[in-house]
Amino acid sequence: MTISLAPFANNWFFLLKAVWITVVISLSSMLLGFAIGIVVGSLRTYGGKWVDRILGFYVDTMRAIPLLVVLIWIYFAFPLAIGISVNVMTAAIAALGIHLGAYVAETIRAGLTSVRRGQMSAALALGMSRMQAVRTVILPQALIRMLPSLGSLLIFAIKDSAIASVIAVPELLRQTQVVAGKTFRPFELYTGAMLIYFLLCFPVARSVDRLYRRISFLGSS
Amino acid sequence: MMQERQNSSRVGSDAPLLVLQNIRKRYGSVLALDDVSLKVNRGEVVCLIGPSGSGKSTLLRCANALDIADEGGVIFEGKSVDTRSAEETRRIRQRMGMVFQNFELFPHLTTLRNIALAPTTVLKLDREKAEARARALLAKVGLSDKEAAYPSMLSGGQQQRVAIARALAMEPAVMLFDEPTSALDPETIGEVLSVMKKLADEGMTMVVVTHEMDFARRVGDWVVVFDKGRIIEEGFPGKIFDDAAGERTREFLRHLGWHGESSGGRPGSTSGGDQK
Amino acid sequence: MNLHWDVVWDNLPRLLAGAWMTIWLSVVTMALSIPGGLVLAFMRLSPLSLVSKPATAFVEFFRATPLILQIYWVYYVLPAYFDVQMSQIATAIVGLTCNISAFNSETFRSGIVSIRKGQWSAGRALGMTDIQILWHIILPQAALRVLPALATTWVSLFKDTSLVSIISVPELSYVGLKIRSETYRILEVLTAMAVLYWLMGYPQAKMVDWIHRRFKVVE
Repeated sequence: MTISLAPFANNWFFLLKAVWITVVISLSSMLLGFAIGIVVGSLRTYGGKWVDRILGFYVDTMRAIPLLVVLIWIYFAFPLAIGISVNVMTAAIAALGIHLGAYVAETIRAGLTSVRRGQMSAALALGMSRMQAVRTVILPQALIRMLPSLGSLLIFAIKDSAIASVIAVPELLRQTQVVAGKTFRPFELYTGAMLIYFLLCFPVARSVDRLYRRISFLGSS
Repeated sequence: MMQERQNSSRVGSDAPLLVLQNIRKRYGSVLALDDVSLKVNRGEVVCLIGPSGSGKSTLLRCANALDIADEGGVIFEGKSVDTRSAEETRRIRQRMGMVFQNFELFPHLTTLRNIALAPTTVLKLDREKAEARARALLAKVGLSDKEAAYPSMLSGGQQQRVAIARALAMEPAVMLFDEPTSALDPETIGEVLSVMKKLADEGMTMVVVTHEMDFARRVGDWVVVFDKGRIIEEGFPGKIFDDAAGERTREFLRHLGWHGESSGGRPGSTSGGDQK
Repeated sequence: MNLHWDVVWDNLPRLLAGAWMTIWLSVVTMALSIPGGLVLAFMRLSPLSLVSKPATAFVEFFRATPLILQIYWVYYVLPAYFDVQMSQIATAIVGLTCNISAFNSETFRSGIVSIRKGQWSAGRALGMTDIQILWHIILPQAALRVLPALATTWVSLFKDTSLVSIISVPELSYVGLKIRSETYRILEVLTAMAVLYWLMGYPQAKMVDWIHRRFKVVE
């Protein structure tokens, strides 16, 4: 078996652009997921029984349906339902973000309930409204405490971005397939792609670890 | 039953600042407070003592509506408090300061920000004014050098002093202390009590739930003894501690190591019941 | 927009066959991945570098790269370069098993490590051998501890089987997409597919919650 690095040398720019798209999708979906997750998680914790149930339905649905199915549905079926067409990037980021948001929401919920109840009492005793208390006292502590879990969700965002390849988003996996098809060297290319994903994920995991070690004392009650 | 309470030079003569009337509070099947009434005059230091579980902390938390009484009401600064209104509840909480047994400092903020947070978010002070106020209060409790420290870096006594400063930053009319020294090491109790004494000397109205009998006797203007959700006795510190009337009161004080003079030891925390 | 739901009813048997394949793939993968994960966990805990380092590399690699890429890798690379001929289903199972075993090994490893050292000391003080301690004392406790994490991994696995549709394994997603391209009733078919996943997945998610509550570890 001969290994050639030629496919990389000849297509490095093409693949580099693909890596960029992967990064963009990962970050965008993480941001969207984060935004959804903070709102949903907070509402589930503080919004009362009915809000908890309704939002719980969203969360449990995302836990039940594969990301691939969500993505396919948003790209192919949703436009038919509402009559507006969606481009691949939007569909990908929306699907990933909505799916991820459910998991972020659960993490945030766990974080909020892990903060000592006395903290809420202290904030209320100072005259703050519940929303002010959650925003300035409870939520920051929850985020710090949940940093490791949130970090692993970020890793998921990076890995799940590859699923966007099925709707032809020009991210790393898709473009790797394209080059493999052209050069007939799947081993080098797919192995190389694995390495690149590893190089994207591993430092993120390490940095989150290090960051958590340094600031975890800020979240301890 | 209520005696004349104008003896102390510190006590003002106008209408009481805080009145709790006929408070009844249940937790499940347990009656935590059974028809309890309390009056606090401006400038007074009222100490609530009694065994654990006797209802003292619950009464304190009813004062600033952290707990809502099942029956009875609260009159603050002459007006009846409508605890169903979130707006009004927040308003009276701004006028009352509370210090917790477990300090409850916000661990993600520096000492300075802990004190300045509520003035900025609740009183809408601008940041500089709030921080200036915070610095002044830190100096008052003797912790100016700790303004950039985080709570986890401070000792218990230091944290509690910061907590007192945090409550004072709202410029309250009355300070509520819920067993402020119960979670402290013996060495650090003194520093917190001396801050509290300083506040009392400056004329702050205070309601203190405490096991520190010495403090209650020397700094208190009025002492209220609780047992099983009721007030069994109240009066001037001299009367309660030196010539205590009720048998149960004497038994409780004895159980806590109070022998009729300044006690140095820390009280036990079990409710009286293993003595005959 | 008019909907023709009869397409769904007409093709229901095929969809259900796909769902069955999804379930079958999940069960087989998990059955292989529990021993797989245990082997990897013990390798990682081994004091011999020669044994622990490759195992760690394997686990880190399969956890940090996308499953969909791993499936492609196994599909294209194994037959071409390693002269191994496998059916699509076998390929899918190999890919899924490697991936899930890696995650399981992490679960098992931290489960074993989390049992207090004192338990080992207690066993030794009673004169037991390390193997006896492992079998009678450590593993039973570790088994209860890892149950919640295993349950979560199971649900992930169940959803991940949808990815083997890319190599034409006839599980639910593949069947659904095929019917869609045959009938062009996109909204109806895709919605039906999603609903079928939901019907299978929702109870599982609830069950996982129950397991987490029931087997919560309090030291």
